[in-house]
Amino acid sequence: MSSSVIKVKNISKSFGKIRAVRNLSFSVESGLCFGFLGPNGAGKTTVMKMLYAKCIRDNNSSEVDIFGYDPVKNELVIKYLSGVVQQENNLDDELNVIQNLMIYSKFYDISVKTAKKRIEYLLDFLELSEKANSKIKELSGGMKRRLVIARALLNNPRLLILDEPTTGLDPQVRHLIWDKIRQLQKQQTTVLLTTHYMEEAFQLCDNLLIMHKGQNIMEGRPKELMKDNIEKYVLEVFDTEDGHEVKDDTVRNNIRVDHTPGVIRYHCDDIDVLNNLATTSLKAGDYHIRETNLEDVFLRATGRQLNDKQ
Amino acid sequence: MINSNVLKYPPLHRRLYSVWYRHMRVYTKNILSNAFPPFLEPLIFLVGIGLGLGKYITEPMGGVSYIEFLGAGLLVTTAMYTSAFECSFGTFIRLEFEKVYDGMLAAPMTVNNLIIGEMLWAGSKGFFFSFAVLCILLVFGIVALPYSLLTPLVGFLTGVMFAALSLLITSYVKTINHFNFYFTGLLSPMFFFSGVVFPVANLPAFVRPIAEIVPLTHSVRLVRAICSNNYRPILLYDLLYIAVFIIVVGFFAIKRLKKRLVN
Repeated sequence: MSSSVIKVKNISKSFGKIRAVRNLSFSVESGLCFGFLGPNGAGKTTVMKMLYAKCIRDNNSSEVDIFGYDPVKNELVIKYLSGVVQQENNLDDELNVIQNLMIYSKFYDISVKTAKKRIEYLLDFLELSEKANSKIKELSGGMKRRLVIARALLNNPRLLILDEPTTGLDPQVRHLIWDKIRQLQKQQTTVLLTTHYMEEAFQLCDNLLIMHKGQNIMEGRPKELMKDNIEKYVLEVFDTEDGHEVKDDTVRNNIRVDHTPGVIRYHCDDIDVLNNLATTSLKAGDYHIRETNLEDVFLRATGRQLNDKQ
Repeated sequence: MINSNVLKYPPLHRRLYSVWYRHMRVYTKNILSNAFPPFLEPLIFLVGIGLGLGKYITEPMGGVSYIEFLGAGLLVTTAMYTSAFECSFGTFIRLEFEKVYDGMLAAPMTVNNLIIGEMLWAGSKGFFFSFAVLCILLVFGIVALPYSLLTPLVGFLTGVMFAALSLLITSYVKTINHFNFYFTGLLSPMFFFSGVVFPVANLPAFVRPIAEIVPLTHSVRLVRAICSNNYRPILLYDLLYIAVFIIVVGFFAIKRLKKRLVN
């Protein structure tokens, strides 16, 4: 029986006139991965920062409870129990890999002996052992990211906060990091994750909150979000300027049509309906039928238009 | 659900020490290029100005030979400059370019811990730089043992004082070039008019009160007293000034930097 270790009620944050986060509430159960999905500027990072006291929430009737502590009153306890991977890699370039970790072990007041063992284990865990004495400048982007994750794990955190952990990394590294996050979860580490990779959210998150303009638009298990918010299949028709269109009279009621420049999407729960539609009025190669994914849900929820922060 | 031993986040002195340790490790990483200049610079200065120019200054200054006068002053100006560089350019780069503080603040420490640790580190650098000058002065026989061994302590106080001032300045700075005003407009005049290269008493009467207001003058008076082993009651006022300066300016520096570090 698991219980909520993070309970957030009604938090908001304004920067001047901009309301970055508006009345957000959520709770996370122990050992689960909770994801925040949203476009750039949606307020995901601000939410994370409010949890580890890097950002002070607006003073209203909000409540934040992390392992029984409020970051405004007990920031040291929460920081001690958490590991944070921020968006930027902020490693000390002057120092090598081990020295970077040793410095952080001092921040947690871990004895040198314990720290050395822990660092050896973490470098092995994140497959960085060969780079133990390398300079930071010699590391690839993926290695730096893994090192920052190792740094966040130094103190055996009960809560791991990952702010876009795999942005800009190649698929191999991304899958490696996903695998490690799953292993940590098995050891009862609670994980909070922000991402704008749908695949990542789908792969890792037990629960997902889609944010847009600082608000919660939808929340639930990834599969349920898809089931509840989008049809099962989509027929995509390309190059619509060239007249590759389905004649209107063939489109039936159970099909939802979505026009965007260059592409028309026909959504339907029944693949045969879409197959029929395609074969009767389109040439092979002008269309593509596939299962819908989280990205379709996301785009439907947050809109295809760019906002001024993207 | 959480048992009490998880509350064992590091105590205050360990948190301050960890910040100090971080800076020390990064600084000593390039020990040769970082530790050599503090010894070389006073050497060049004393040879060039003290021996070269000093030959023409036959009158004793402040009761001692010119090279003694200048040498004692260098004990604290070196602490002033190293601390000012550390907490202006250094702090700004860690704050804005490297984002070092963002990472550190995710570990169990508060902004107050972070900045006080930084000030203590700048003080330590002041101590070390004063010590380097002292070594050169001792080699040339310009100051005498054992009293002069106390002078790095004044270097420490000077370092902390200028750390507080520099951090306050840094809290206002938007682009790194603004520090040029600080160095040229504040520190250079202090170097020349705080009794380092000639006694404050030689300043025009209307300028003298200004010299009393600026921080370096008080460090200089303390360090001269130690070098000449001649203590007067006014030194208590100098110590009080330094203490109050560190507390008041440091308080505002922390208050303003907090706004930049925690949104």
